[in-house]
Amino acid sequence: MIFIAIIAGLCIVASRAINANLAAKIGIFQGTILNFIVGLIFSIVFLLFSSEGASISRISFISVPWWTYLGGVVGVLVVVLSSYITPKISAFYLTLLIFISQLLVGLIIDYFTLNIFSIGKVIGGLLVFIGLTYNLLLDRRVRKNTIYESL
Amino acid sequence: MNNLVSALIGALIAVMIMLNGTLSNVLGNYIATIIIHIVGLIAITFVLLVSKQKFIINKGTPFYLYSAGGIGVFAVLFNNLTFNSLGISLSLALGLLGQTITSIIIDHFGLLGMKVMKYQKKKLIGLVFIVLGIAVMAVF
Repeated sequence: MIFIAIIAGLCIVASRAINANLAAKIGIFQGTILNFIVGLIFSIVFLLFSSEGASISRISFISVPWWTYLGGVVGVLVVVLSSYITPKISAFYLTLLIFISQLLVGLIIDYFTLNIFSIGKVIGGLLVFIGLTYNLLLDRRVRKNTIYESL
Repeated sequence: MNNLVSALIGALIAVMIMLNGTLSNVLGNYIATIIIHIVGLIAITFVLLVSKQKFIINKGTPFYLYSAGGIGVFAVLFNNLTFNSLGISLSLALGLLGQTITSIIIDHFGLLGMKVMKYQKKKLIGLVFIVLGIAVMAVF
């Protein structure tokens, strides 16, 4: 299970990078459409192999608030923005920047919807932030040095 | 600017997880995934129509480039599997570890058309902090 959790992370980064390549070839919006078409096909196949399909007629689709259906729209925004930014920034920093703001907004959402405030996540997030900043500064210095060397 | 857009993506993902999580709890994981993709498909088709861009599938496009959508669904499936047995924080933390390692490898070798950014030993200090942070989040 631990291995599968790590592989899930690998899938996220790989899919982002491949999507950015596709976007460079056929356009960002066009790439996003293909991303969602292929994703839809895979989702349907997974449903067919799961036990969920049998209970589909018993689900009440209006019992969910309408705005929860907007996740797909937000997903489109994420894929479009990711395809735009991936070629412009290192994969490592993209991953960590996304993580930091995701954690921050996640903490805020948890606080306002569930009234939970996790100190452990704040401390952990802070440590990740320190490590990220240190490496970012290191990169900046290297870039400066290479400019001096080329002069 | 690039850092700001990256941060915005993270914020959007947090909102998306909340929305999709609520939907999955009520409708079931797989049916929710299908609905999420249908809604997304409608949204992006609308954007494409409004922007009056053409949709052309270039025959020269390598086949593996179309796999991203499928890999994304696998990520969701793996997440669902691990959430149930490891809990949310630990699977998120391990997922981040997987993302970090994959990103470093992609940067170092310039895989998938990315710029080569060789790994420096000094960065190990920063990485130790990152792994430590992930561990703290997993424990608490």
